[in-house]
Amino acid sequence: MPSSKVMSLKEALSTLVENGDLIGTGGLSFWRKPIIACRELVNQGKKDLTICTFVGGLDVDILIGGGCISKVKSSFVGMEVFGMAPNYRRAVESGEVLLSEESEASIALGLKASYLNVPFMPLKGIIGTDFPKVRADIKQFEDPLGTGVHLMAFPKIDLDVALIHVNYCDEYGNANIEGAVWMDDDLAKTAKKTIVICEKIVETEDIIHLPRRAQIPMQSVAAVVKAPFGAHPTSCFPLYTFDPYHIQMYMKMEFTEYKEKFISNLTHAEYLERVGGAKTILNIIL
Amino acid sequence: MSNNAKDYTIDELLTVLMAREVKNTDVMIVGVATPMVWAAFTLAKLTNAPDAIYHYIMGNSFVYEPRQVTLLYLEMNLYRAYKWQNSGECTLECLPSDTLTTIEFFRPAQIDQYGNTNNVCIGNYDKPKVRLPGCAGIADFSMFYKRGQFFYTPRHDTRTFVPSDDLFFISGVGFQNGCKSECGGSGPQCMITNLAYLTFNNDQRRMQIGTIHPGVNVEEVQNSTGFEVIIPKDLKETNPPTTEEIKLLRERVDPLNVRKLEVLAGKERDELLNVIIEKELNKQNKFPQVLK
Repeated sequence: MPSSKVMSLKEALSTLVENGDLIGTGGLSFWRKPIIACRELVNQGKKDLTICTFVGGLDVDILIGGGCISKVKSSFVGMEVFGMAPNYRRAVESGEVLLSEESEASIALGLKASYLNVPFMPLKGIIGTDFPKVRADIKQFEDPLGTGVHLMAFPKIDLDVALIHVNYCDEYGNANIEGAVWMDDDLAKTAKKTIVICEKIVETEDIIHLPRRAQIPMQSVAAVVKAPFGAHPTSCFPLYTFDPYHIQMYMKMEFTEYKEKFISNLTHAEYLERVGGAKTILNIIL
Repeated sequence: MSNNAKDYTIDELLTVLMAREVKNTDVMIVGVATPMVWAAFTLAKLTNAPDAIYHYIMGNSFVYEPRQVTLLYLEMNLYRAYKWQNSGECTLECLPSDTLTTIEFFRPAQIDQYGNTNNVCIGNYDKPKVRLPGCAGIADFSMFYKRGQFFYTPRHDTRTFVPSDDLFFISGVGFQNGCKSECGGSGPQCMITNLAYLTFNNDQRRMQIGTIHPGVNVEEVQNSTGFEVIIPKDLKETNPPTTEEIKLLRERVDPLNVRKLEVLAGKERDELLNVIIEKELNKQNKFPQVLK
């Protein structure tokens, strides 16, 4: 077998993420987001990152609050039933971060184009919306094969780094997700470097016996990091659900205070203690 | 009708009216953060559309069995999904299909007389007064759906219902300039609000009152709408929920009242949220109840 890719989160992010990178985060909304990696990026003081995620929430909001982000590419950024994402809203309204307005398909197609190494992919939707007014990099065109159909060209999205939280991974990067995959396999296979953060490290033999095996194969992965409850306060189905009390607190607290209390230079064990320790874990475990 | 419910709330009325739109052959798209739509689809599964299929965006999965509406354990409703997709497949291949009859309810922040919608920003795009979460897939699918587009809002007012010129951003395409989209979908079908059931006039493709809810008058609807709404000659009243529909909704589909989070605001909403969280955390078996 190849050599092990297991390393600490600190090492993975400091060696594989550079200021100015286009990073992609997996998961969706409140589910299976690589939040521990977002906190570490804040601690490492990364700057000028562009974040691309299918549906964003706490991941985008924490990174903006931490001053890491200059641009957001996402079809939706919100806190679900808990409200709007506070840092995201403020930063967009004040012009502090730039937006690339996205739909679901514009991200799905952008990643596909990157994987196929073509400059754009055609899409039949979007026509009639105001997207062309705010996206100078998309263009309507007529089918060159002559059917007369109008299409919209969406540019490829070349990720530098993908951050994906998964249930199981072997030392070489064969990763298995037990619940919904969302865009994670596409993010992983198109990114130049993919960092997999897992709840549990297993042997390759175990991955082979899991349903759907390795949705993210080892050739797509640069680093494997073990971090049980690393998605907290988002969920990692079917191990634990999202932590509603923590999210409610996040919504109420000034971000500087939140950062001081829950982000700044804490070990993962210290973080888990601060968010409520065993009591919180028993609350969220399914 | 003798079995009309005597007391029901606005969220219950909207949920019931949305449920009645579902057909037995539909694929019901359950979006993110729309518990009222989810409750409506689940009510439909227990009444007029037992064979309809859920497509949960939160899992990109197809699910047949109905389960109780939940807040914390929503991923567990996907546990017995018979088909998983990734978001790419779901977005690009499956939903704009000609063969699937999909039904999805969009809740617009703004809508004009032609059913064009905005979920992107309030105020100028470059310097918005309010940056909204975004339109997600609405920009991709709104013009494709063969069964057309379905809308709802529990806040029928002139901030939501605006003339075309006042739309800050078009993120969902309706009958633009009174025409059907070249993408081939059927276009806007209905808008269900706290005041009326609105449809779209076949000739002008503009919003008109379909039926008016009990206790509401025409002036109230017109005054709450920022454009001229077409009023049909023989205006009928909305059929209210039946006692059966209300009983199913309250006791089986959504006893936790998760749907009400879409209509409440401020302190009242916070209190309900806390009650739901506490009740759900105290459950030993986290699986939402299967409804047969």
